[in-house]
Amino acid sequence: MPVAGLFGSDIPAQSGLKTVRDPYTGQEVYVVPALRPDWAVLHVHEADAQGNARVYGSPFWDRTMSRAARQVIVTAERIVDTAAFQRQPELTLVPHFLVAAVVHAPRGAWPAACYPDYEVDHAAVRAYLAASRDPAGLRAHLAAADGAPVAAR
Amino acid sequence: MSDAAVVDLMAVCLARLLRDGERVLHGVSSLLPMVAVNVAKRLHAPNLVYLSVAGGVDPSPPRLPWSSTDQTLTVGATAIFANEDFYDLCARGGIDVVFLGAAQVDRAGRINTSAIGEYDRPKVRLPGGGGAAAIMPTAGRIVVWRTQHTPRVFVERVDFATASGRLDRVVTPLCVLRMADGQLRVESIHPHTSAAEVQAQTGFDLGALTAVPRTPPPSATELAALAAVDPERVRDHEFR
Repeated sequence: MPVAGLFGSDIPAQSGLKTVRDPYTGQEVYVVPALRPDWAVLHVHEADAQGNARVYGSPFWDRTMSRAARQVIVTAERIVDTAAFQRQPELTLVPHFLVAAVVHAPRGAWPAACYPDYEVDHAAVRAYLAASRDPAGLRAHLAAADGAPVAAR
Repeated sequence: MSDAAVVDLMAVCLARLLRDGERVLHGVSSLLPMVAVNVAKRLHAPNLVYLSVAGGVDPSPPRLPWSSTDQTLTVGATAIFANEDFYDLCARGGIDVVFLGAAQVDRAGRINTSAIGEYDRPKVRLPGGGGAAAIMPTAGRIVVWRTQHTPRVFVERVDFATASGRLDRVVTPLCVLRMADGQLRVESIHPHTSAAEVQAQTGFDLGALTAVPRTPPPSATELAALAAVDPERVRDHEFR
């Protein structure tokens, strides 16, 4: 894939990126190999049982990741009826045929945000950072979080 | 001068660089640019088009968030312009100003956010460019800010050139630097410091500094706009 810029950076040499001559303008342009991840795991606000998925607010890189990956796993705050997608298909970020599995995962983005349902849990992030200074502390922290009821997260 | 006053001066310097009607983008970990864009919109650039990594176009958040990625920066937005959109827009020359951070900046205006030391055996591995190598040569102009001005930051040659290109200004706690004739030069020296200190804290020769003017201190209007935009002083977090 062609990418604008990159000239003047040490990244192309370090990463072995090559240029080609644009056949239309004659200009040299860097081309990069397309990324093709095996899996993308995307947390969304709403999905249906078939895998159709919606993100409210900003999708960041979700659209691109869903198209780049060979398989997509959707984790969703809520499972809704397919009729909701049929009423406003323009709101579907990922169509079902790209999705391999749907997981109902309320508060699945915690301690990060799933705006506007919930914001970043700064206290939980700080606790994680403190606990993760050594492996034993991290294991204990994750075990406690894993066993906690969803509402307490 | 207190840290808080230096933060305010830096935010005002960044805001002054923005012009009305321009399309302006900031990314992650960019609290000072976030504040500066909102100050500029409130003062001299009401028609500035405000884009950010959070994806909102011209948001009017009720309060500024503690992270410049926060979805609060989509509240009141008239559109969502997601990451692939603004990278593509920049690539075709459609963004006027982009704010970039840097661990090192060198005399020729190259920036390093990749590694300190040898790339394959670094003393410090840094987060990486986040697309800076594509943005820096294609945006209209690049504004870099850095909350430390030391010889370790301002170096003769960066350890690794993550990106270079259309660098316009660098705003630091000591001065404003401008690219001219392929080299960073001092445009103005902040009121609380001196030409001697600026040179002593810079790892390359800045040339004669006797004719360099002082940075105008923040006006009452600018300080009032800062207070209105960021009453919780999230901007101070860049200095912590």
